[in-house]
Formats: sequence, C-alpha cells, structure tokens
Amino acid sequence: MTTAQAQATLYHDIPEARDVKVAIAGVDVHYGDKQALFDVSMQIPDRSVTAFIGPSGCGKSTFLRCVNRMNDTIDGAVVTGSLKIDGTEINDKTIDPVVLRASVGMVFQKPNPFPKSIYDNVAYGPKIHGLAATREELDGIVEQSLVKAGLWGEVSDRLTDPGTSLSGGQQQRLVIARAIAVNPEVILMDEPCSALDPIATAKVEELIDELRENYCIIMVTHSMAQAARVSQMTAFFHLGNLVEYGPTEEIFTNPRERRTQDYITGRFG
Amino acid sequence: MSVISLVALALLVMVAGGFYMGRTRAIKQVAGRSSELHSLPNYYGYYVALWTGFPALLLLAAYGLFGAASTHSWTVAELRAQAHEMSAQFEGDLAANSEYVQLESTLESLELTVNGLREELARLRRANDADRDPHLIQLRLEEQRSSRALLALAGTSIEDYRTGVATGMLVTARETGVAASIRAGFFLTHSDIVRAELFMSDARKIARGETPSELLPELEIVASRLTDHQNTLRNSVGLLVLALAAIALLWTRSQIQPQFRARNNVERLTTVLLIAASILSIITTIGIVLSMLFESMRFFSIIPIQDFLFGLHWSPQIAIREDQLGQSGAFGAIPLFAGTAMITLIAMLVAVPIGLFSAIYLSEYAAPKFRTIAKPVLEVLAGVPTVVFGFFALLTVGPAIRALFTSLGFESAVTQSALSAGLVMGVMIIPFISSLSDDVINAVPQSLRDGSYAMGATRSETVVHVVIPAALPGIFGAVLLAISRAIGETMIVVMAAGQGANLTANPLESVTTITVQIVALLTGDLEFEGPKTLSAFALGLTLFAVTLLMNVIALRVVQKYREKYD
Repeated sequence: MTTAQAQATLYHDIPEARDVKVAIAGVDVHYGDKQALFDVSMQIPDRSVTAFIGPSGCGKSTFLRCVNRMNDTIDGAVVTGSLKIDGTEINDKTIDPVVLRASVGMVFQKPNPFPKSIYDNVAYGPKIHGLAATREELDGIVEQSLVKAGLWGEVSDRLTDPGTSLSGGQQQRLVIARAIAVNPEVILMDEPCSALDPIATAKVEELIDELRENYCIIMVTHSMAQAARVSQMTAFFHLGNLVEYGPTEEIFTNPRERRTQDYITGRFG
Repeated sequence: MSVISLVALALLVMVAGGFYMGRTRAIKQVAGRSSELHSLPNYYGYYVALWTGFPALLLLAAYGLFGAASTHSWTVAELRAQAHEMSAQFEGDLAANSEYVQLESTLESLELTVNGLREELARLRRANDADRDPHLIQLRLEEQRSSRALLALAGTSIEDYRTGVATGMLVTARETGVAASIRAGFFLTHSDIVRAELFMSDARKIARGETPSELLPELEIVASRLTDHQNTLRNSVGLLVLALAAIALLWTRSQIQPQFRARNNVERLTTVLLIAASILSIITTIGIVLSMLFESMRFFSIIPIQDFLFGLHWSPQIAIREDQLGQSGAFGAIPLFAGTAMITLIAMLVAVPIGLFSAIYLSEYAAPKFRTIAKPVLEVLAGVPTVVFGFFALLTVGPAIRALFTSLGFESAVTQSALSAGLVMGVMIIPFISSLSDDVINAVPQSLRDGSYAMGATRSETVVHVVIPAALPGIFGAVLLAISRAIGETMIVVMAAGQGANLTANPLESVTTITVQIVALLTGDLEFEGPKTLSAFALGLTLFAVTLLMNVIALRVVQKYREKYD
C-alpha cells in the first residue's frame, strides 16, 4: 500500500451536513522515552458518535485524553501536533486546560462519582465554574442534566443520598449527568460500559444515542458490537497508529485495510 | 569453655544431625525415589530437628531463667536446716525471757486495738447520711493514727530485741567453735532481709572469684556450698538436656516411613509456636489490665470513685505528722484530666494543621523527587526520643515563651507551662498525622481526581472538594490515634509541664497531666498500702480506658473507610 492510499483512508470524507468539530493533524504522544502515538491525523464530526477501536495498548485512550489535555496530569507525557476544536488550537501552552476541560467533558471506564450526594455530584461543575447565580438556577441545571442523562425518574426523590449508593449503571449515568451539567461541546467516553452489566449497558448506549443530537461524542470501546450499534464514525488504532478511519458501516462491512478486517473478524487482537 | 556452652553446642550439633538423619533415612527408605515420599525429604529433616531441638532448648532456657535463683534458695534452705538446733535454742531462750514475752503481749494487744478501730471506722463510713457522724469519724481517725504509730514502734523494738539476742548467740557460737556452716544458717534465719541479702551477695562474689566487702569463714563456707550446688545443678541439667534431645531424636527418627506425614506434622508444630507467641502477648495485656483493675479497686475502696472522677482538688500527699501543711490527701482527678486535655488540645492545634497540610502538599503537589526525600525526613521526627523533645521544651521553648510573654506584660508567665509542653508535643505528633494522612490521601482512587480534573477543576479545587472529603474518615482516624498518643505521652510533660495540679484555662500556667502524676506517685519511697500509691493505678486505668476507646473508634473508622475503596 502506498502512502497516498494510506492518506486517502485516513482523511476519509466525513458525511455531509455535519461540521467538523475536532480536527487533528500530526499528533505524536511520548511517555518519557516511549512513543505511544505516531502521527495521528483525523477530523471528527459534530453531533455524532465517533468510536475508537483497537487492541489494548494501541493508544486509543491516550489519543482520547489528548482532546481534553488530560495527559497534562501525567508526569512525563508530551503531546505534539495540532488539535483544533471549532478551529481553535487547544494543544497550546496559552490555552488553560482547566478552561478547556469545562467544554470537553469526560466519562471514565469505571464510574467515579465523588463522595458527595447525588445533587452535589451534578452541581460540582456548575459550582466551580460559577454557572448558576442562584440556588434555583443550580436546581434547574441539576434537574435538566439528570433528565438528559435519563436518571431523573430514578433519583428525583433521593437527591441527598450519596452518589456511591447508586448501582453501577446508575452511577455511570450520574457521571454522564455530571459531565453534561457544564454544557460541554464535546464529550469523551473511555470505555463507558466495560464495567457494566448488559442491561445497564443498553441504557447507557441508549443515552449516548440521544445525546448525539446535541453533542460531539468520542468514545473508546472494546466491544465491536457496541461500536457498530452506537457510532456513526469508527477509527481503528493499532500499535499507536491510526490504521483506518471512516463511516462505521463501511469499516464494518467493507474495510480497506487487511489489519482492520482481521481485528473486526476476531483474527487477532 | 563452660559446661552449658558445651551442652548448647552439642544440642546444636544434634539438631543439625537430626535434620540430616531424618532426611537421609526418608530418602533411603524409598531407595532415592523421593516422589514416593509423602512429603519432600527436607520436611522429614525438619520434623526430627524440631523435636530434637525444642524440648531440650526449653529446658535449657528454664535453667537460664531460674538456675541461679534455685541454687540460691537450695543453699539457703540447706544451711537453715543445719542451724535447726541452734534456732530452736534461740526461740527457747526468748520464750524464757520475761522482757521479751512482755513485748510480745503488748504488740498483740496493739494489733487488736488497730483492727477494732479499722472495723469501727468502716462501719461509721458506711452509715447513711443522717446517721453519719463526721466528728466521731475524725476522732476515731486520730485514734487509729496514734495506735498505728505505737504498733510500728512495738514491731521495731521486737525486731531489735531479737537481733540483739541473735547477735549475742552468734558471738558465743564463734568462741565455742560451732561449725561455720551452722553459724551461717543461723544468721540467714534470724537476720533481717537486707542484711541476709548482702551476706548472700558477698558469698556469690566469692563463688565467682571476685572480692567481697568482707572475708569471713561463714562467707567462705557458703560460697563453697553455692559453687557445689551450682555445679551439681548445671551438670544434671546438662545431662538431662542431652538425654532429652537424644531420646527425641531416636524416637522421631524411628517414626519415619514413606507414608509418614512429615509436612503436616511440621506445619502443626509451627502453628503451635505461632499460637504460643500470640497467646503470650494477649496474656500479658490481660495481666496488665487485671493488675491495674485490682489495685484500682483497692484504691476505690478507700476513696469513693465519684470523689476520684469528679473531685476538683488533687493533692495526693498524706500527712505523716500532725504539723505538715498542705498535705491533705485529696484525690479529685479533674485537674489532671483538665491539664491532660489542655496540653493535648494545644498539641493538636499545632500538629493537625501542620501535619495535614504537609501531607496534602506531599501527596498532591510535590514533585516525586522532592517527595522521596521529604517524606522520610519528616518521619525521622517520629524517631526522635521523646526525652530529647522534653529537653528541648524545657531548655529552649519554655524560656523563650516566658521571655516573650513577660515582655508582653504577662508577669505570671513561667518556664514550665502547658503551652511549651503542648507546642513541643505537637511537633512530636506531626509525623504521625502527616504520615497516616499521606497514606489515606494516596489511597483515594486516582479516578476521583481524574473525574474532577475532567470537569475543569483546578488542583486545589480537586483537593478541597474531592480528595479531602474522600479521605476524611481516614484523616479522622489518624487524628484520633494521634490524640491517644498525646494523652499517653509522658516524658515531654514530665519535663516541661510542671507538677502543680492547677485547675486553670490559662496555658501560661503550669499544669500537670495524668501521666506526670503517675510518674510522681510511683517514684521515690513507696508504701503499697496507702491511697497515694494506689491512686496511680486508678489513674493508669483511666488513661488506659480513654486511649483504648480512642483507638477502637479510630480503627473502626479507618476500617470502614478501607472497605469503601478496596
């Protein structure tokens, strides 16, 4: 395969009528002496779900953490290259990662509610960013976020209970509600269902599908079926390289790369 | 080389030989196919070696512990038995002596009086409020005091009389040529404990070949008896040890067969050893608690428990003579509790913020390089002996505080103040709080921090709103452990806080704590009957109860916290 062909697969046209939300060009990530990501470039559309798949250690989570500069919190991690959200360069010393993270929410693999009440978990972001001037406004934000996360009906009568008292699936939706309470533009999800049972997984997937209407969602998943079910775009990473990126149907039905096909059909990984 | 070292060496050789014999015999029995053995060959070796070594070693240890004492009492008993006739003559002489008989009957009647008074006093004190007659009690108390003094006097004169007669008999015996061993036995039977002990220690010195304080024929004969008995005991114990080891060796070796479960047996033996070790420590703890409990109960039978727990005046000196002032014998422990609480509070005001903040800095902000250096350095503070801290408080901090407050116009400031003791104790406690808090802060899962950072929180927002609340139960436990440490701390307060049992809220005054008073009560001359000494046990029991409660709460809280995140 020639370089030109490779470029063609990487810069696959994104479907029309969707704007580019995140544009990435030539991103390398080093952890100390070890290079974790090699020259990744891709364009991620708004109002859709983009799934990152690939075997463990392929760099997909590392790449996800570049988008809200969470790699800054790791000692010795160096990110080079260009990452733009709505045309604004974010991989830049002048951008405050704290401000950036207010507009790029993140949901982790294991539900991590804070040791606070359900209400305070959701109100955490709005409080530290001063999004609500009055108690009523804050109540409104909390309620809306819980409604959007499909959790309001289950917890509206026990908002003062600790967040950790909820079930695993509920906790994960609480964490999603916490993320959307600050009204982000992009939501990153790092294997959001891998610690959940199938029923809770179905609920969270349904929620992701609804959230797609308003947010640009980027998720890492180990489940091929999940990528196929909820995502519109899929990127396949292997050994720190972006191997193939395109509309999900195409990746799953007609991959251009041999390695993608092998991985999807379970021949390696 | 002494016999005992030879025996120990032989035992060691037998243990090693036992291991080897057990192992080779096991292998030989299956003709080298070790896989046919029930256990690995080494276990057969361990089995033989353990049984060879342990009983014999226990016997040897028992000899080491009690050997000298039993030689001593054997010798003394033998000498006393030899002097039996002379002692009988002594008692007979005394019984025929009218002066002595007079003295004895006086002593008996005095004893009766004192006992009668004690019973009457107890009855008077038990009486209900209405029937209680304080005046009568006071009267009887004074009577009791004077008859006790008389009793003591009578006791001393009887002792003196006996010693005088005995000394006279000894002089006559030496002149008439009675054997030295009989004289020594007579002396040991009839002299007072202190002189007998001095005599025996001189004899032991001669037996060891050192120079005694005086050289008497009696001493030499006792020394030679001591040496003889020591040798007999040592040789027979040595033989017994070797015989025990040999029997165990042969017996366990004969047990070895391919299907013998050597591994299980060795495991059972080691389990027994482990159980014995843990039981020993538990029994010790129970013993300490019980001894405190019984002595405290004796104390509370003299001083009512409510007077002790709620009394506002502490002055444990009891007047021996009528004219002593300020020694009323009051046992109200509130001033001690208050002093302990104040010093602990000051210590915590120093240690909690500094310890907690340094823990937060070390675990959340410091670069790993700085942390690896700073944390051990901080923990070195915990290794400084408390007496050094006490020194520092007394000689540096105390005078500095007094100078500072005197210059500010507080004329009453003293060197030994609650403030200096509390400040220095706080410094001592810092590493406890910082090290334990650092551990619990590090135990807060990284995912919580990540969650907070991902919400756009800064580092300090994350620390304040997420990390500290999550670590709070653990920090609470650390503080409780530190408090119980501060309450029980003795050396610093002994040196720096003073002795005055003042009930005050002024940290510039000198106060005293429970631990300081225990030290003061139990040093110097003791009389174990009086409430003064017994009150130390009551204080110790109170201290123990408080720190135990604190530790139990702290451990509970920390445990609960662990369950949440594991």
